[in-house]
Amino acid sequence: MATKLKDTDVVIIGLGAAGGVAALPLAQAGLEVIGLEAGGWLTRRDFAPDELRNNFRGWPQAVQKANQEVPTSRANASSPTTPRAAIHPMQNAVGGTTLHYWAQSWRLNPWDFKVVSETKRRYGASRIPAGSTVEDWPFGLEELEPYYDKVEYEVGVSGQAGNINGKIDPRGNPFEGQRKRAYPMPALRGTEFLDKMASAARSIGWHPFPGPAAVNSRPYQNRSACMYHGFCNRGGCHVDAKNSTAVTTIPRAQATGHLKVVPRAHVTTIEVDGGGRMTGVNYVTDGVEYFQPAKVVLLASYTYENTRLLLLSKSKAFPNGLSNNHKQVGRHYFSHNQGAGVTALFPFNLNSWYGLPAQGVAVDNWADDNFDHSGLDFIGGGNLWVYVDRRPIGAAGMNTFGRVPNWGSAWKAFIKENADRSNGAYLQKTTLPYEDNFLDLDPVVKDPLGYPVCRVTAEYKDNERKIGAFIQDKMEQWYREAGAVAIQRAPVGGPMGVSTHAYGGTRMGDNAETNVLNRFGFSHEVPNLGVLGASVMGTSGARNPTLTAQALAWRTAEHLVKNWNKIRQT
Amino acid sequence: MMIEKGVVPLFGVSGWRKGVRPLFRCLLALLAAATLGAQTAPQKIVVGSPTLIADQRIPRDYTPDGRNVSPPLTWSQVPAGTKELAVICEDPDAGNPPPFTHWVVYKIPATAKGLPEGLPIDPAAAMPAEIAGAIQGVSGFRRPIYRGPAPPPGKPHHYHFVVYALDAVLDLKPGLNRAELLAAIQGHIIGQGELVAIYER
Amino acid sequence: MTFISRRDLLKRAAVVGAAATASADVARAFQASDDVAPHGPAEAGHYAGAAHEMAAAREPLENLTATEADLLDAIVARLIPTDATGPGATEARAAHYIDRALGGALASSRQAYTAGLEALDRYSRSSRGKPFTALSATDQDSVLIDVETGAATGFPERSSVFFALVLNHTQQGTFGDPYYGGNANFVGWDLVGYPGVRTMVTAAEQQRLEKHELTPNHKSAYDYESFTKATASLSRQSSGREGA
Repeated sequence: MATKLKDTDVVIIGLGAAGGVAALPLAQAGLEVIGLEAGGWLTRRDFAPDELRNNFRGWPQAVQKANQEVPTSRANASSPTTPRAAIHPMQNAVGGTTLHYWAQSWRLNPWDFKVVSETKRRYGASRIPAGSTVEDWPFGLEELEPYYDKVEYEVGVSGQAGNINGKIDPRGNPFEGQRKRAYPMPALRGTEFLDKMASAARSIGWHPFPGPAAVNSRPYQNRSACMYHGFCNRGGCHVDAKNSTAVTTIPRAQATGHLKVVPRAHVTTIEVDGGGRMTGVNYVTDGVEYFQPAKVVLLASYTYENTRLLLLSKSKAFPNGLSNNHKQVGRHYFSHNQGAGVTALFPFNLNSWYGLPAQGVAVDNWADDNFDHSGLDFIGGGNLWVYVDRRPIGAAGMNTFGRVPNWGSAWKAFIKENADRSNGAYLQKTTLPYEDNFLDLDPVVKDPLGYPVCRVTAEYKDNERKIGAFIQDKMEQWYREAGAVAIQRAPVGGPMGVSTHAYGGTRMGDNAETNVLNRFGFSHEVPNLGVLGASVMGTSGARNPTLTAQALAWRTAEHLVKNWNKIRQT
Repeated sequence: MMIEKGVVPLFGVSGWRKGVRPLFRCLLALLAAATLGAQTAPQKIVVGSPTLIADQRIPRDYTPDGRNVSPPLTWSQVPAGTKELAVICEDPDAGNPPPFTHWVVYKIPATAKGLPEGLPIDPAAAMPAEIAGAIQGVSGFRRPIYRGPAPPPGKPHHYHFVVYALDAVLDLKPGLNRAELLAAIQGHIIGQGELVAIYER
Repeated sequence: MTFISRRDLLKRAAVVGAAATASADVARAFQASDDVAPHGPAEAGHYAGAAHEMAAAREPLENLTATEADLLDAIVARLIPTDATGPGATEARAAHYIDRALGGALASSRQAYTAGLEALDRYSRSSRGKPFTALSATDQDSVLIDVETGAATGFPERSSVFFALVLNHTQQGTFGDPYYGGNANFVGWDLVGYPGVRTMVTAAEQQRLEKHELTPNHKSAYDYESFTKATASLSRQSSGREGA
């Protein structure tokens, strides 16, 4: 029999990137917030610069709840599910994956909000890829701009603006959506190699610029600037320069006295009453069951778990799962088209041992609709990102470009010369939702508590594959212009699999027949249930989702504050 | 363009000898000249071995079930005018697409009468004197060495040791695979022969 | 390179390792070994010579059997050889890293090593006529190529699976933080040119790196006092700096 706890105003399920941000405006407004987080606290002392532990042994992910519920995955409904990974791509902790993520912190571009209408306008409706369920977002970038601004300053994002109030700054991205003001901090420093790449881009008429990062480029809010020590990739920050929600919005929310953080809280289901209003959350901590009543719940447990928790929360009012009477939960899912990378070999050292993946140079000339697609057979494009990231075990495992085997004397001589001479580009590409890509519950596999895990059924379609090949061509061109002597391309397309950039499953849109949430992130069917995270997003854009998920989370929280009496349970 | 295995001429020598009408014969001659430069069809080289027997099981020391060393080959009736030779070992019963390549050797001097057993697997080691200058190209295992038959159990596979006699010393770089080698020697093959042996696990 | 006995390899490793880790090694060797005359934990200087002999005679193993360790030593010596480009997995003590890790973070691979090492040696005998450790280096390479390509028979799964596992772990043991028992004396980091763990890298230091002026600092992550360490191996308490 679960212990029933005292009622509270808001429960946030998951204190990661999105939940961790939403807590702040709610607590600042004086609402009583309980953050239920499946993980625990980690601090600077836990973040040794240790490649084995961070990058090969899944620290600190090796000890957590998410690993018990890794989704199964298959390409499509006719294929079998592939064996599950041992480790979930995301992390349970106060701060979630923001503790060790790459911390790239992009705004989406204007086109990402209006893929359907813009494609129709410029190329005709027939150019919307067959089978895609893509919709325009219920608002444009200008609606979200104040929240991007709010999060960038609250959390701390460093970068170089390209368009302030319509005035283009050539040091930044000429294609970006208009913004009100500069970043709170300048961009992270460059390196000789990054300068060389930028120069090469300019020489072929492209517009390179440094990327934005939730990493301090100078001391900010009494936290240190980045030390560039080289263990940022899947590593926590030893000086709190990586602006996870654990060192920014969450402690600030706690300081108001209105946020209580409950770690090691494993949420199992969400309850509703006979009338279909959400009443609270069931969770387990250290084997003991609790029921936490709440007037409003914000579900922020990452894309797979958001869908899964809704589907597991069946009731008389919602026999198909909570908020799923329109059968949209799990639909419009996609993993970001961020694979199909390109690696280059240079005839000189790149000096990449010290740096971080958020330190780099980007090109958006081939993203979105920034170039004419009239003669092409796809829509959308990709961001080309070249960055500074290398550690010794990874370097020893480098691509040998077909020149030597993977061991022995010839191999050893090759890596002695070339360990610091290769570079792999990160190519994030437009990804759209499709009718037959979706999430549901696995019919067979269960977690240790007996609940079915999430199942991913998704593969890259023609449009994504074509973008993939096109962007590889562009990246090769860029590398060769900078002096690369050999290029390798990873395969394009295939099953989407379980991803760190997972979108959809609880899409946001005005139409309740095709979307789970309204334009403010609250369920069409359950007024006092909101959802946060990339699961609400209907298109990916050619960049990381985190800042967008955080801006949306702030907006949802602010909407809740302004409409508290209407939304809460009476 | 994918080159078919064996690069066999359009018609066999025996077909040529059968009585054909003079016009057809003329057309065939023109076709041969067009296909092969101003040359006749490749002559048949006789390929043998002290230890491999045609259509018989390959001895296990030439496979990973044994020492996995390269087998000795001999050849004769190599056409006059041969400037260098090449050898490919391939299995048409494997590969995606077939054939699977087990061995590629080229720039074999015209003076060589065959390949001795056990060519080196260490890239730094020198070739035996009688084939000085020869290069081992890249096999289907992505290494520049011989690796013998390892067919999945069940049915025997056929291993074709094909010898090519070339009419010129070509500028062949190290690291060529089967397709690249065949493309480079296209038009220079004046002699060709093979020994086929089998292996089953 | 001719065949080198395990005893000789250990001697070599002990000599190379002596300068940096003598006191820890000596202390551990004396505590761990049953064969040692009843001395207590000793000062490095006084017993250093004896410790080298101890190491050469029998290196304390934590999880592998002596036979398994002999074979693994021979394998890693071919994967990352000692040669003209310098020291390799032997000097880095990659096999020791694996041995230690099999009791902790790599415990789920313990069975795979038992079965895989046994299969590899059986394959070596049946195909090459000798145990792997008795083959010439060239013949050892030939065996390893067949294991790598999946052509070798007698393994629980395709032999290529075991090969990939060992190669992976050998790289970890050669290029990972020395805290875990490998990359002894930073042999691996020196090979790839990694200048060592630093908790701060200024713009000036980055520029020195770009001018080839940054000398390796030969520091492990755990030379910096402020970090918690990974979970220690379950099989043995460590007395020295090393963890699992």
